[in-house]
Amino acid sequence: MRNPFLALVRAGTQTLTQSFPDLPTEATGLPTVTAASCRGCGACVAGCPTQAIVVAGDEVTLDRGRCLGCGQCVRCCPTGTLAEERATRTAVRTRAELLLSNHPGPRTPSAALPLLRRSLHVREVSTGDSAGDLEVIASTNAQFDVARFGVHFVASPRHADALLVTGPVGRGMREALLRCYAAMAEPRLVIAVGTDAISGGLFRGGYAEANGVPTDLPIAAYVPGAPPHPWSIIHGLLLAMGRD
Amino acid sequence: MTTLQPCAPALSHITVTPADLATQVTALLLQPGWRFGHLTARSLDARHTAIDVLLLDTQRGAVTCLTAPLADGQAEYPSLTAQLPAAHWAERAVGDLFGLRAVGHPRWKSMLLHNDRWPVDLFPLAGAAQATTPREPYRFLQVSGSGIHEIPVGPIHAGIIEPGHFRFSCVGEIITNLEIRLGYQHRGIEGRLTEVPWRQARYLAESASSDTAAGNALAHALAVEHLLGIAPPPRAAALRILALELERLANHIGDIGALSGDIGYSPGASLFPPLRGATLALAQTLTGNRRQRWFVQPGGVARDLDDARRRALLQGVQDLARRVTDHLPLVLEHAGVLERMDGVGRLSPTLARDFSIVGPAGRASGTGYDARVFSPAGAPPAAATRRIEGDVLARAQMRAEEIASSVAILTQTLDTLPDSPIQVALPATLPPDAVGVGVVEAWRGELLHWVTTNADGAIARYAIKDPSFNNWTGLAIAIRGNLVTDFPLCNKSFNLSYSGNDL
Ligand code: SF4
Ligand code: SF4
Repeated sequence: MRNPFLALVRAGTQTLTQSFPDLPTEATGLPTVTAASCRGCGACVAGCPTQAIVVAGDEVTLDRGRCLGCGQCVRCCPTGTLAEERATRTAVRTRAELLLSNHPGPRTPSAALPLLRRSLHVREVSTGDSAGDLEVIASTNAQFDVARFGVHFVASPRHADALLVTGPVGRGMREALLRCYAAMAEPRLVIAVGTDAISGGLFRGGYAEANGVPTDLPIAAYVPGAPPHPWSIIHGLLLAMGRD
Repeated sequence: MTTLQPCAPALSHITVTPADLATQVTALLLQPGWRFGHLTARSLDARHTAIDVLLLDTQRGAVTCLTAPLADGQAEYPSLTAQLPAAHWAERAVGDLFGLRAVGHPRWKSMLLHNDRWPVDLFPLAGAAQATTPREPYRFLQVSGSGIHEIPVGPIHAGIIEPGHFRFSCVGEIITNLEIRLGYQHRGIEGRLTEVPWRQARYLAESASSDTAAGNALAHALAVEHLLGIAPPPRAAALRILALELERLANHIGDIGALSGDIGYSPGASLFPPLRGATLALAQTLTGNRRQRWFVQPGGVARDLDDARRRALLQGVQDLARRVTDHLPLVLEHAGVLERMDGVGRLSPTLARDFSIVGPAGRASGTGYDARVFSPAGAPPAAATRRIEGDVLARAQMRAEEIASSVAILTQTLDTLPDSPIQVALPATLPPDAVGVGVVEAWRGELLHWVTTNADGAIARYAIKDPSFNNWTGLAIAIRGNLVTDFPLCNKSFNLSYSGNDL
């Protein structure tokens, strides 16, 4: 077959019809904290490469903002207190919501943003990325097709409502990122995609000061994962628009 | 001063004086099959530093480290670049990270650390009491003459892509010089790798370049195994090949689509991304993650492949191969596509050799070097194909050929998966004063992880050489004399990593 138009017709519609499907069983999901009681063995804490877990007595606190989703803690937890999450709606509006605990405190849900509900123009800035970019690109392809939710990626910050940041923002990129934000018109918001952008992830604490998106920027949505799944990124975009 | 003990017969070590380093290296490189691997520096103690050069003997699968200790208080050494152009960025990186100046370097300037963002006297990998030479302000190469104008681009680019700065000097629409300035994403990975516990270093090592997780994880595993003198079980070795080749397949398929997009050929741009998606789904079946994260580890791999998933993978690879074979001629035999790619962005075989251009870009310019023939952990050595045209078309055709060879390697490996455990136990400590080198033909080409331990068995220096570190210069050369509007196409035909370069 040498006819491109025939090939296109034969390939058919690529767009996924079900939104936010659960991850398939062979995929490693982000960890979550279940009600199963913890015996305080500490195996999860010892094996975590980013110190994302704190265990005090029988209380387990997992910071998804630091978690890579490597699955190490789930594999070694003898009690099932740590388990894999299969859902792809993993984005949240506040940093506090990324802290999961088996003794959760009260939650105050953040107010939805009234503006920008129907359409969002996004300027993506990569700052030392570990594949978050690639999943942002994937969210724009024919399969995930984020455009159907009213989201468009634009070249100029002047055209953007939202600044989507991937990567841990080391010294080399901080100024460029802040200038990009300053060039955006109000109202504007920031979305942190990936564990690197949220906390610096693996790079946190090094001399490059790559500790994540500066916290004085108004972050409207956090998407955990290293990298997050394209559906989770789309979830973060919808959350930032106040639509989910 | 420490002495280095070879951990495997394939490693030899030579100590030279800085003054003799260039002569020794050039003499060794005259031997058939020898290539320059990398150059870096290493702190021996708080005051003393050495320049280290890694050479690869691709015929015997051996590595040679040359170490040139610098005298006390010495913050410079004679540059190798005049004799060995491929060392030019490596010497500049040593300047930034260690504060050591390569005297006689023809284009001496900073590389990773920019003066307006980093203190001029911060040399993050230098010893506490070591002599340093301060970083000078960065100056772009000035092209002069009538009608010359400059186009600055970046660090933030128009699309969803990593940051870096391109400075074009043009006459009208023709590019006469491109200077590439990177380093914006410097995250201090090499430094951090000497700080984290070595058993957890794999997470950081595999994050060196955003789209080469399997390649970096494998190079790290090989380097640590080389240090420890252990080998992974046969099944793990085979599963690693699957991860590496799936990564190659996904990226090459993605590049064919992206090249089509850059010339406005929409059938190619819309048919290939779903195929890339299908490849990522196979990667997820194998590793649990679309980007093959956290799978390859020292001593083996993190999870096994049961027979149901093995059969699903085999089926998936065959389906994918059928669709790719179907679609490739639509791009690479289309008259309009050939017209746009033929003769654009040509890199001559001589310059490709001099600057040590690696991977499909090197093979498109006649190098014939594929690190899979060197590394026992790679795939069975396929006869490295090569072209000599060195243009965008040749680089696209190399990808098409490698897609076919990756499919063959995947099919064969899945058909003959050996039965064995997937992990060997690792000792508690690393051997002291030892060197481990991991060489991998990642999808962009030769990727090196080079680890040196100190007398306490701690990692004293962890050096990573991404294929992009070689190939960015190839892009800068190839674009000369081309139209500004052909830059995106030429850039995509190399498709280099900024994060892997900046580290
Ligand atoms: S899955 Fe997350 S929390 Fe668990 S060990 Fe890995 S990084 Fe740590
Ligand atoms: S969560 Fe599981 S692994 Fe962690 S301390 Fe409790 S029982 Fe142990």
